[in-house]
Amino acid sequence: MKSSRRNFLRGLGGTAVALPWMESIGMAAPVAGPAKRMAHFYVPIGVVRRGFFPGEQDQIIPKGNLGQVRTSIGEQNPNLIVKKLDALTPTMEPLEGMKDKVTLVTGMDRTFQFGTDVHAQCASCYMSSAEPYTIKGSAWPLDRTLDHLVADHVGRETPFKTLEFSCNPHQDNKESIYFDNVSWYGTGHLAPSIRDPRKMYERLFSTKEVNAYRDITDLVLEDANSMKRHLSYADGQKFSEYYESIRAIELQMNRLEAMRAELAQVDFDEPTDAYLPRGEFIRLMGDLMVVALQAGLTNVTTFMVGPERWDTPYMFDGLFDNPQSHHKMSHNQTTMIDSLLKVDKFHMEQYVYLLEKMDSIVEGDGSTLLDNTLFTYGSGLGDGSTHQYNDLPIIVGGGGDQVKSGQHINLPEGTPLANLWLTQAQMMGVPMERFADSTGLVTQLQA
Amino acid sequence: MKGADSEGRWGRIVAFGGLLCLNSLGFLAVASDDVFSSVLQPTFKEKCIQCHGQDGKVKGKVNLLEIESQEDLFADPDLLADILDMIEYEEMPPEDEPQLSEDKRHEMVASLDHLLTEYVADKMVYVQAPIRRMNRFHYNNAVVDLFDLKATVFTLPERMMREHKDYFKPETGVMAETVHVGSRPLGKSQMIEPRLVGVAAFPQDLRAEHGYDNRGDHLSLSPLLMESFLKLSQSITQSRDFVPKYVGIWNSFFENPPEGVDPKAEAKTRLEPFLTKAFRRPVESDVLDRYVGFAHHQLDGGVEFTEVMKGLAAATIASPKFLYLYDDSAEGDASEAIGDIELASRLSFFLWGSIPDEELLEVAIAGDLNQSDVLDSQIDRMFRDHKIKRFCDSFPAQWLQLDRIISSVPDREKFPDFYFSQYRDSMHMMLEPLLLFEAVLIEDQPITQLIDSDFTYRSRLLQTAYGYEWPEDKIQLNAKGNPVGGEGASTVLRFDRMPVEDRRYGGVITNAAVMTMTSGPERTQPITRGAWLATVIFNDPPEPPPADVPALGEKPEEGEEHLTLRERLSMHRERADCRGCHEQIDPLGFALENYDAVGIWRDKYENDREVDMEGVLFRKHEFTDVIEFKDAILAEKDRFTQGFAGHLLSFALARELGVADELALDEVAEATANDGYRIQTLIKGIIQSEPFQSKTNPGTSTSIAETD
Repeated sequence: MKSSRRNFLRGLGGTAVALPWMESIGMAAPVAGPAKRMAHFYVPIGVVRRGFFPGEQDQIIPKGNLGQVRTSIGEQNPNLIVKKLDALTPTMEPLEGMKDKVTLVTGMDRTFQFGTDVHAQCASCYMSSAEPYTIKGSAWPLDRTLDHLVADHVGRETPFKTLEFSCNPHQDNKESIYFDNVSWYGTGHLAPSIRDPRKMYERLFSTKEVNAYRDITDLVLEDANSMKRHLSYADGQKFSEYYESIRAIELQMNRLEAMRAELAQVDFDEPTDAYLPRGEFIRLMGDLMVVALQAGLTNVTTFMVGPERWDTPYMFDGLFDNPQSHHKMSHNQTTMIDSLLKVDKFHMEQYVYLLEKMDSIVEGDGSTLLDNTLFTYGSGLGDGSTHQYNDLPIIVGGGGDQVKSGQHINLPEGTPLANLWLTQAQMMGVPMERFADSTGLVTQLQA
Repeated sequence: MKGADSEGRWGRIVAFGGLLCLNSLGFLAVASDDVFSSVLQPTFKEKCIQCHGQDGKVKGKVNLLEIESQEDLFADPDLLADILDMIEYEEMPPEDEPQLSEDKRHEMVASLDHLLTEYVADKMVYVQAPIRRMNRFHYNNAVVDLFDLKATVFTLPERMMREHKDYFKPETGVMAETVHVGSRPLGKSQMIEPRLVGVAAFPQDLRAEHGYDNRGDHLSLSPLLMESFLKLSQSITQSRDFVPKYVGIWNSFFENPPEGVDPKAEAKTRLEPFLTKAFRRPVESDVLDRYVGFAHHQLDGGVEFTEVMKGLAAATIASPKFLYLYDDSAEGDASEAIGDIELASRLSFFLWGSIPDEELLEVAIAGDLNQSDVLDSQIDRMFRDHKIKRFCDSFPAQWLQLDRIISSVPDREKFPDFYFSQYRDSMHMMLEPLLLFEAVLIEDQPITQLIDSDFTYRSRLLQTAYGYEWPEDKIQLNAKGNPVGGEGASTVLRFDRMPVEDRRYGGVITNAAVMTMTSGPERTQPITRGAWLATVIFNDPPEPPPADVPALGEKPEEGEEHLTLRERLSMHRERADCRGCHEQIDPLGFALENYDAVGIWRDKYENDREVDMEGVLFRKHEFTDVIEFKDAILAEKDRFTQGFAGHLLSFALARELGVADELALDEVAEATANDGYRIQTLIKGIIQSEPFQSKTNPGTSTSIAETD
């Protein structure tokens, strides 16, 4: 995987160097070590179970769309097993070089809340998994998602509290917000993602445009104040989103301004509007995510490698000659399993690329960016045909000495995914006793 | 139709009908608690609690054993309304249980209605419509109207039907015989239209999965979106097309003041009406002073007048006063009448999807809009304005859930005729119900035309797809001598008005678009169709099925090939707890089984079995073919009217409906029926209804729980 065009730290090419500006950040806060960071890599539409899960290679191939099955048709071990991560399955094979820095977690479940399309809760509720039927006035078990809860604690000093990346290539807005977002401020309050690398670059590094707003933010904030006096109690509560948004933009402007000199040294070519093959496109978005985490622009990110469902075909350059619909493949495993396995492996390669990239970046105290980042691969579906919300594919990468890596943990039947999120929140220093429908911690992951 | 025997809060008295009248009058004499103990409770005990409360049985999660007094019912007004519906529409007791006598049923309906009326009169609480930002459609329209732009701001695929060659002339009250249209989501090059260069749309507000795309819970703001709004405000006013040619208010707002006129004074003079229009209310002096102060500061700094005004315009459209739709806080916890200025905004966002124009706002500011004749003439004016197209661009497609046609992909091998070159017939199909709706609206036709129309609009391709010949007299040749709008047309599509002589077609139900989008790739889905009908036509959406019931496969299982779809389905729903709902929705869906998965008529299934579509609507109207089914729906047209009125009110108020709205809907439906079911009468009734002109907006937190 070459990325010479976008080697944002010159001289990186395998040997990690710490730039002077990184040290200057370290000097500004001499007591604290590198910030703890968290990133989530979301894979849509599940995976082919035979290819991904150890021990399932000979299981039956689901036929057609089993959208109403929503459970495994093959067998899974219902007991707790903790063992060394040894021989890798075909889909996980790209992880070979990073085997000791990741832990495979299987057997985690979520609960589908009846009342929506089966795909509509895969991504949208992946990081909230609220206890079903507890969120009033919504068919979604969707609450403030993990990234924001964590960012409430570790995102207070960065220009961006969180950043949301999406590699959704579609121009048609065919699907609703629930198919294209893992990150939510709360029920019905979407944290929208950026799909265009140029827009993300502009957001991270360009302060010139934002400065144009400075003149008018004062004016509109005054309007907001005069308007608020007329609002009812409930409206006033909701209207705080306006203040929060304007304040977030102002903070962002100030903090970006303060970091201007340092950011100027970041050597990252501005993306062009030239077409990029699928892999390069994903890696460019990924590079932007890594540089944002590295440079202290944010401590928390989410990254959707593709949208949930969405029938419209798109190019997987290098894999197939024609545009393909990931969703359609998932419903035709009996005939398209080989293609689908290629897609699964392709997504894994992108995850591994980012793992390696983070691992090659040395921070102020000699640890790597990956050591300081919980970087989790996962999908909201255990299989795209059965549409099961149980036995999800999850890989926890990084986390340094907080995480016991190199393992395969199979959790007992019925263990909620929220247990992992609770564990991660605590690792990130969030004083949280329970998260969504969690029942405990994944202690096996704790070092 | 429920008889509304209440005296409305603002002194409206409504006549009520025969039997109910007597009953109601009878009950008025006694305390309503007695109604509960004398009528309701004994009947609950005799007929209902066997399934709803006794021995731990609580079907549909309804426990009537727990309801021991009128207060208990008032504590759960939704339940009260549900029971009323169930009894009135004879949905309960279930068919195979002992029934209520006709007299008992009437007595129950009258009692429940009486309680509901009392509850509403007492509480007067309408559901709160939360503050919400404009959606993308509103924003586009409002910016166009504010600046009087001669181009759109950005191209919106959510406006599903593209107007070509200016066919839409609401001022004439007649829809053209021949129209040229395009399908934005499925056609070719339909997104190319005059727009401001350099303006990027902010991400589409994707359709809410429930309700309409103007709902407050969907329209929230994030830092990223706010940045887009800020960016948009700059990019619009800085676009190289933002010039006199495209900007209607250029001379009155942006142009340099004439020689000798003080620019500062001029800025203030121009800002006042501009901000009033943008914020839809008279601009407060402190707000105006701030904007003027900004202008002075900039002018003093040497910025050109036009640039200063552009900066102010950009700030204006990024201001929350522009971006947000809201009502002022109310005095108390109860619902109260909205003011004229709020009424003007509700009206314009409902019918025009945009801010009020000068005339409407002037009438409102003068305090005249609440006069019914003034309001009436304003509504008439709005119906005749071309901006009513925006209503046609938003409500009908969402009401009919027509966006589902975009993702309909019938099996290519089974339905090869559905595909032409690289397109799908659905490109044409989706336009038929939309054109019918437009015609009914601007011609003020009865809404029964939406069920069973005597005309429709079809393209040649569509007419052929239905299996008809394209009339000779409508063949039009282009310069090359080929028929215009032939099979290959994918950009500008010609649709012609034609009479519907075959009643199997006509109306919004049995058209190819709806039949296709409620089918799977290989077969029809009667339950999906039934649920669509219950939701769209009768506004009575079924509960979602339980999670543990598998769906029927697209293809018959082994040994079931000889069965009809109804037989196969019946084998798959033998569970007693499924029956209640399916008794309601299945007959609706099976009634349409003669239309295959792409809406084409069939008498037999592939296995040569006759299509079995017979059924009974609402346990009252038997039907043996689809024409009788349409007659059955027409026999229940008051129920359709009520449901349709509910859809309109929900869209108009951008909120879900509550119990308190039901009585108003009764009145609107009744008034509509009395005026030949005319659609404009219905829409006027909605606007003149109490919920449309009320708000529940308590200033303190104490009463929020009640409106929840």
